[in-house]
Amino acid sequence: MKLWDMLRTANRNLFRNKLRTFLTVIAIFVGSFTLTLTNGLGDGLRTYVENQVKNIDGANVVFVEKKIEAPAEEEPVEGPAEYKEQKAEDGSTALDPNSFTITVPQMEAALKDAGDVKSITPNYDIHGEYISLDGEKKYAAGLGMLSEGMTLKTEAGKTIGGAEQIVIPLGLARMLDSNIESLVGKTATIAYKDADKVLKTLRLQIVGVATKGFMTNNNSFVDSQTAHLIYSDQQRGREEAGKFFRFTVQMASADEKAVEELKQKLNEKGFEGTTMADRRKRTYDAIGIFKIGMSLVALIALLAASFGIINTLVIAVLERTKEIGLQKALGMSRGRVFLIFSFESILIGFWGALLGVLGGMAVGTIASQYLMRAYAASFEGYTLFVFTMPSIAIVMTLVCLIAFFAGVLPAFRASRLNPIEALRYE
Amino acid sequence: MLEAKNLSKTYTSDGVAFEALKEVDLKIAPGDCLAIVGKSGSGKSTLMHLLACLDAPSSGQVLINGEDTSLLPEKKKNALRNEKFGFVFQQFFLNGRDTVFENVVMPMRIRGAGGAQISAGATHAIAAVGLEDKRYKKAKDLSGGEKQRVCIARALVGNPQVIFADEPTGNLDSATGAAVENMLFDLNRQKGITLVIVTHDGDLAARCSRIVEMKDGRIISGGEQS
Repeated sequence: MKLWDMLRTANRNLFRNKLRTFLTVIAIFVGSFTLTLTNGLGDGLRTYVENQVKNIDGANVVFVEKKIEAPAEEEPVEGPAEYKEQKAEDGSTALDPNSFTITVPQMEAALKDAGDVKSITPNYDIHGEYISLDGEKKYAAGLGMLSEGMTLKTEAGKTIGGAEQIVIPLGLARMLDSNIESLVGKTATIAYKDADKVLKTLRLQIVGVATKGFMTNNNSFVDSQTAHLIYSDQQRGREEAGKFFRFTVQMASADEKAVEELKQKLNEKGFEGTTMADRRKRTYDAIGIFKIGMSLVALIALLAASFGIINTLVIAVLERTKEIGLQKALGMSRGRVFLIFSFESILIGFWGALLGVLGGMAVGTIASQYLMRAYAASFEGYTLFVFTMPSIAIVMTLVCLIAFFAGVLPAFRASRLNPIEALRYE
Repeated sequence: MLEAKNLSKTYTSDGVAFEALKEVDLKIAPGDCLAIVGKSGSGKSTLMHLLACLDAPSSGQVLINGEDTSLLPEKKKNALRNEKFGFVFQQFFLNGRDTVFENVVMPMRIRGAGGAQISAGATHAIAAVGLEDKRYKKAKDLSGGEKQRVCIARALVGNPQVIFADEPTGNLDSATGAAVENMLFDLNRQKGITLVIVTHDGDLAARCSRIVEMKDGRIISGGEQS
């Protein structure tokens, strides 16, 4: 029998008992529908995060933190760990085992023999008070630093490229001037409180307006020199001054090998280096796990539906015992009988999956639009459900595969029928 | 062309062995018109099933054109039944929702024939049983006699060398039964198709050129000639 004839036969057989087929397809539909939506949700989240994260980028940077050592396993410690006195005096480059902070000399010492390093920026923690264009109207301003080697995606102007520069968030820019392009090049006044709570101001040039993102929704970003200035002023005289949780190391080139070597070297010295790509991967892995977790619910629905397929086909085999017997008597091979029944189960899966995917996409798209209308302000750039061709193809294939496996048992039973007994069957 | 050599078949159910066929020898020549008669349980259907390769013997051989079929793999046996044999059963085994055409061409479809070949074969076979005007009728809408004629067309469509008919008129009244019989005998006479009819209808058997009578799994008369 030709493949096409078998497919046609299988499809015709399905439509012999329309109601039963329809009900089985419905069960598959529910599962595929759910799977489509959970996938869409995961992809929506991923796309959103991807867009947000991409707003701050740095191809040649490595973020350095102190490595968190796992406690030695052979000695289960009860109570607090033993205090280890810091042997060295100030200025030493040895790491303090009681703290996660790193000083500039420590960092520089660790990177001394590492070639290719272009700049080292400590993660200055700075706090702003207000920002003003004309000195009259003041807006509350969060402040952040853009480390050397990092770039910001901008709606107008460009990213920071020198000292005494600032990039402001889109929301603020729109409040300052509806024509955000005109802000670029203007000078803004930034105010902050120093260590003695005295308000101080700085005049910085606006070089760009940042695209919306997790980090750039509210904060203005200044260059590292300005940040250093503010930091020194704010932390003056404090004990924790000069101790940082993180450094940003800029490499001279984006050479992956050099980055890997640097990470390796840092690791040996008790630090942990992560790149932008590492961070992204972590986030995407988390979303991936979330997606799989949600899909499991849909898979349970599909599992239940697959028993519907088994049931449907077992009954079909009983109903068609004589027909199968005749076909075998007339020379149909076992394999072909198996294939016809397999096609029937796959077709049930296929129709269910097709309807489920289409239904899921329709509902998802409508839900996305509705939600965007309701919460547009807080989720700019977020599409709740995103449907991509690969994920739709995966759903279709997976459902057809599940359907096929559900059909194996009945199809096998059909293929094993003895023609003589089948023809005698009452 | 068909030969049974020392053929035995034992069925075992619930541990009890039942010898349906005991060391049967039979030769069937091309163009023979042969009736296998006997009471129910005499083994006549079993003999037909073995001759038609629908079942495997417990011992002995079935030779087709001198070739031992027990040595053939499953695939070859399937092809053999499909290409060389035609079957007419007491029950029609038609697919009621399908058209006469679809029912008739089933062996061609199983064979994997092309569309043109299928169409030509169907036209020929349907014309041979005089159902041209019912070609696209649903099989369930036919009368009993017409249904059996569809079955004959189905047996005929693949140009078989042998047609096995198991009680072909058992479900028909005598008038339509006679018409179906005539059709089968015509095929035997005009096309030289070997006819093996299993029946307990004495009148039908009497119209065959050879009668093999069976009792308790053995041939008691008609087996020796050929």
